[in-house]
Amino acid sequence: MTDTLNEPMVRIEGLRKSFGSHEVLRNIDLTVMPGQVVTIIGASGSGKSTLLRCINLLETPDAGHVWFHGKDLAAEHVDVNRLRESIGMVFQGFNLFNNMNVLDNCTLAPVTLKKMNKQEAERTALAHLESVGMGEFAHAHVSTLSGGQKQRVAIARALCMNPDLMLFDEPTSALDPEIVGEVLEVMRALAREGMTMVVVTHEMAFAKSVSDEVVFMDEGIIAEKGSPQKIFTAPEHARTREFLARYLDD
Amino acid sequence: MDAHAIPRRNRLVAFVLDDHRYVLLGTSVVACLGMLLSSSPRPWFSFMYYAYPVEVVMYYLLFAWVCVSVAALISKAMLRERYAQASPFTRPPVKSALRCTSYLMWAITAVLIVDRVVMGLASAWAVATSVQSRPEDALQSILYMLWHGRDMFITGIMTTIELAVLGTVIAFFLALLLVFCRIQTIDRPDNDLVRFLKVVGAWFAKVYSTVIRGTPMMVQAGIIYYGVIGILRGSGMGTTEINALWSAFTAGLVTISINSTAYMMEVLRGGIESVDIGQTEAARSLGLSQWQAMRKVVFPQGIKFAIPGLSNELVINIKDSSVLSVIGTFDLMFATNTVAGIYWQQLQANMIAAVAYLILTMVATWLLNKLSRRLGGRGAGVTGMSDSTVNAEAATAAADQMGA
Repeated sequence: MTDTLNEPMVRIEGLRKSFGSHEVLRNIDLTVMPGQVVTIIGASGSGKSTLLRCINLLETPDAGHVWFHGKDLAAEHVDVNRLRESIGMVFQGFNLFNNMNVLDNCTLAPVTLKKMNKQEAERTALAHLESVGMGEFAHAHVSTLSGGQKQRVAIARALCMNPDLMLFDEPTSALDPEIVGEVLEVMRALAREGMTMVVVTHEMAFAKSVSDEVVFMDEGIIAEKGSPQKIFTAPEHARTREFLARYLDD
Repeated sequence: MDAHAIPRRNRLVAFVLDDHRYVLLGTSVVACLGMLLSSSPRPWFSFMYYAYPVEVVMYYLLFAWVCVSVAALISKAMLRERYAQASPFTRPPVKSALRCTSYLMWAITAVLIVDRVVMGLASAWAVATSVQSRPEDALQSILYMLWHGRDMFITGIMTTIELAVLGTVIAFFLALLLVFCRIQTIDRPDNDLVRFLKVVGAWFAKVYSTVIRGTPMMVQAGIIYYGVIGILRGSGMGTTEINALWSAFTAGLVTISINSTAYMMEVLRGGIESVDIGQTEAARSLGLSQWQAMRKVVFPQGIKFAIPGLSNELVINIKDSSVLSVIGTFDLMFATNTVAGIYWQQLQANMIAAVAYLILTMVATWLLNKLSRRLGGRGAGVTGMSDSTVNAEAATAAADQMGA
């Protein structure tokens, strides 16, 4: 990962995706450099989540290419399981494994896939749980946690695989307003540590302060992208202005 | 179980120990039952025969209770809305007295039930097991057939239990195999051979389920039993060899296993599909393969949803194994038909079978409920009763408070 500092980590070219007759993504081009934090903003239904899910192939693109570390994910027979090990993902609905406790959630993938022994995996997991402030809940059952706690565990679970890239799919949208902050704080710390991140979010303040690049999506295309200063202070597109006006009113 | 037991016991205790407005009506029903029993013929073993005057007194006490109830009803009809305030029956001391008297009525009826029903059964049993030919009296006749056909009924019941239990267990493991074939989907890392096998597996499971669930088990039993006999005969085996290798019991067990597999597969599939898709996505996003995600995350959750349906399958198999009697499997139904043929009493023999099947299914349901609670699933709820009477009781209590 160090030898490719000047190479893009993710390069997307001509990406298209339809669900039935509804075209969700129309010709998307995007690059993410190592260490970069890219936030994707836009109205609901503009294709943000689908774009994110195409990066780790939870959705299969109809056309176009997604290169991750120079490997084309859209090629047939590509070992997506191996590639996904280095792409962590955090979901809107947390999706913690309900049949396990917090620690087992974090150790399942390292033990299964990296053939790590249980003690070592638990040590790593505890360190990550500490870093998101969930260390004392290691043996709690998932169903006893609050939304914010679940999401922090979900982040720790993804970090346990030591990923190169983290995808966040509206990580705070299912949370009560008063606990959004605790999750955003964890994400901020992660960004400071230099993690490469692609974040789909409606938290404009977060996008403004943390991202290196902001992407505004509208009806399946990238309408505008640039530095947070440019997007939030001097947007070029009418649609961007319209969208931001609605959010900045609140 | 514990969550329901406490309020239910409290309700029962309240019904017995508290004054409530149903004491007259409820106990009248009991009193009428007692009077009916008292006027029915005395069985051989009746002990009240030796205390005839006591029974006369008991009868008129019950009669008196009914009269009081009728008086209360007339009072209610005349006073209507003013009943709660004006009628003597709603005064607290009267209500207490009525409640205490009602205990006597229940006790009298209980004595009569023992004297007529329990002793009646005992007398009929004594007659049935001692006489040489089948008595004409229906109850005695049934008990006579039960006693003289006991070896057949016991063999039949044991065979039915074996078929149902073994069949369900075998079917469960086959259904596990089949459901994994059924839910396979093409995944990107798969090579062409794996893709081909997955498609074939899924299709096989689908066709299997359609064919087996779309044909009666009785027909399947016939095809399997006679089909294999035909194959064995074609290979040059003699009748005795065939019977040793392929008995009606073996054929029945194979049939019930094959049949139940299809249903259990659908139950398991339903359980697996009711697990949130996000669980799979999270597992896959960490790099787990389709199989690993299924085995470690989805299946352990899905089987919990499937436990009630899987338990139900055992109960269904207890009942449905009866159709295997057509190929000569000596189960409870076959025993019933045999006994019915000996005495030419089809109705009575089938009533014995009905009671036996009911006891078997109720015991199975009870055991499965205990088991599934231990496994942490929901209760089986197969022939379970409704627990939703709580509100009605609460409403009654509230109405009582207002009336008093």
